[in-house]
Amino acid sequence: AAAAELRLLEKSLGLKPGNKYSAQGERQIPVLQTNNGPSLMGLSTIATHLVKQASKEHLLGSTAEEKAMVQQWLEFRVTRVDGHSSKEDTQTLLKDLNSYLEDKVYLAGHNITLADILLYYGLHRFIVDLTVQEKEKYLNVSRWFCHIQHYPDIRQHLSSIVFIKNRLYANSH
Amino acid sequence: MPSTNASRKGQEKPREIVDAAEDYAKERYGISSMIQSQEKPDRVLVRVKDLTVQKADDVVWVRARVHTSRAKGKQCFLVLRQQQFNVQALVAVGDHASKQMVKFAANINKESIIDVEGVVRKVNQKIGSCTQQDVELHVQKIYVISLAEPRLPLQLDDAIRPEVEGEEDGRATVNQDTRLDNRVIDLRTSTSQAIFRLQSGICHLFRETLINKGFVEIQTPKIISAASEGGANVFTVSYFKNNAYLAQSPQLYKQMCICADFEKVFCIGPVFRAEDSNTHRHLTEFVGLDIEMAFNYHYHEVVEEIADTLVQIFKGLQERFQTEIQTVSKQFPCEPFKFLEPTLRLEYCEALAMLREAGVEMDDEEDLSTPNEKLLGRLVKEKYDTDFYVLDKYPLAVRPFYTMPDPRNPKQSNSYDMFMRGEEILSGAQRIHDPQLLTERALHHGIDLEKIKAYIDSFRFGAPPHAGGGIGLERVTMLFLGLHNVRQTSMFPRDPKRLTP
Repeated sequence: AAAAELRLLEKSLGLKPGNKYSAQGERQIPVLQTNNGPSLMGLSTIATHLVKQASKEHLLGSTAEEKAMVQQWLEFRVTRVDGHSSKEDTQTLLKDLNSYLEDKVYLAGHNITLADILLYYGLHRFIVDLTVQEKEKYLNVSRWFCHIQHYPDIRQHLSSIVFIKNRLYANSH
Repeated sequence: MPSTNASRKGQEKPREIVDAAEDYAKERYGISSMIQSQEKPDRVLVRVKDLTVQKADDVVWVRARVHTSRAKGKQCFLVLRQQQFNVQALVAVGDHASKQMVKFAANINKESIIDVEGVVRKVNQKIGSCTQQDVELHVQKIYVISLAEPRLPLQLDDAIRPEVEGEEDGRATVNQDTRLDNRVIDLRTSTSQAIFRLQSGICHLFRETLINKGFVEIQTPKIISAASEGGANVFTVSYFKNNAYLAQSPQLYKQMCICADFEKVFCIGPVFRAEDSNTHRHLTEFVGLDIEMAFNYHYHEVVEEIADTLVQIFKGLQERFQTEIQTVSKQFPCEPFKFLEPTLRLEYCEALAMLREAGVEMDDEEDLSTPNEKLLGRLVKEKYDTDFYVLDKYPLAVRPFYTMPDPRNPKQSNSYDMFMRGEEILSGAQRIHDPQLLTERALHHGIDLEKIKAYIDSFRFGAPPHAGGGIGLERVTMLFLGLHNVRQTSMFPRDPKRLTP
């Protein structure tokens, strides 16, 4: 699954396919064997490496603070999204993310970054199962997700998820 | 504790085993002898709801329950309750009451029924906790008519407390099973009183509206020889040397009445479903409000008549039962029920388009699942601002064999459901009145013709085109009030796990 996601990322960055990925251990941590160097381990490490390969460093943030923020959300992705175990964890995760996104368009700074891309990929399988009511409950997550999925290079073959513009449950108890 | 051995001889002259010698008020209180219809005293009992400032300074007799009591030194405050109304009463040591009498009053168990004689007094400060806010009763005599046991299985105040979502605020509420196990007490709460008064109003308005429209009320048998809607979900009962079944619907009999030229009929009666569904909206016995009507050229004549009947019920409830609606919403807040005139009628394919636009994947001939039904309700509310609508032209494949196919589209049928707040309350259709087509459709559904012979034969001697439907009374009550469990609107609910009380 991680390999498939890294291939999506490669493509969205405009890289030519050809990297070889494998998975290691119980948690299936992705590993990239570089051509003439050591092997790289872990989703966020490999993703960061790919961004640099593609010379799109702006996706890692422009200021020092932004760079740190991007790292922070990559860590969130790996520990919270991939590490989830129950429906309850997912709900908590979405609730936290929803309140963070209250006044933001992107996760870090004012432009799209690797954090947005990887969180979008990571959350897709959860968002696809949400009911209309849940999507409305996590309104800010929905707004952000809908925005990111409108980048055709990022979404690629992933299903486009429907979000309703009007609120249906706002006044309900 | 008042002595239960107190005198039961004389009329209202009970005795307390307290220091009788000093008790100058001993004739003014006690346990009354059991009322066995010994006499017809010339005494008017005033209703609690009539205790207003107009009665100020009158001496009145009241019969009510002790809702709460609170002793404070030389006085005792009681809240007396009668149905959904209550009033504060005061027993204070003075000319009329002795210390012993105050103590007696303070010790009467909650929920006991008492007779009180007192003076109505206007109060300066409104009594917020009572429905009669401007007066209180200064008690001169107090007799227990029927004593409640000291321990109540549930507290009425807990039973009407709104349930706070999420965080516990530490205050007790009563769970559904405790309520239902002790239904007699639960039904005394202002919320239950309001729910069942309103439910009575639904039946009354249903009758009133249909009689005005020229319908005839009929009675149909509930013990029948063959399962009415196919063999599944039917209760079998022993019937002398054979088996019989409990009717799952009065449909066949309604249709027979149409074939017998009654033209427009309705009935209100129990309906039985042996369905092992433990959901918020299924019961094994519920009350069906059923309609069947002959029409001239198009079944929409019937759809309009049924929808208008429901609209008249909604209007009547909002006009005549506003107090009850408000009372229920104090415990279970909800938005007022909205409807359009004339009623919105959507076709199934339009509904499918709306759902697909919202991201739902469904086949043209697939039935609506419960979550999709609810979602559709939201979409319709958002688009048309109505909580009530008709969904017409269901796929033929998901309806019973007797449903008339749509002449223009063989995959559709002349059938409809009606929805309140996104939940189905009525299912109906134009019925096939032609024995040959009925036979074909039954065979198509793989039904044993022998078993439905009597049904098909009903149409052999000329049958008018007709349509109808059945409404679930408990569901209508629940959804009109925005409640979340049909057990709240069934007085003594029957479900797979409950057969008592």
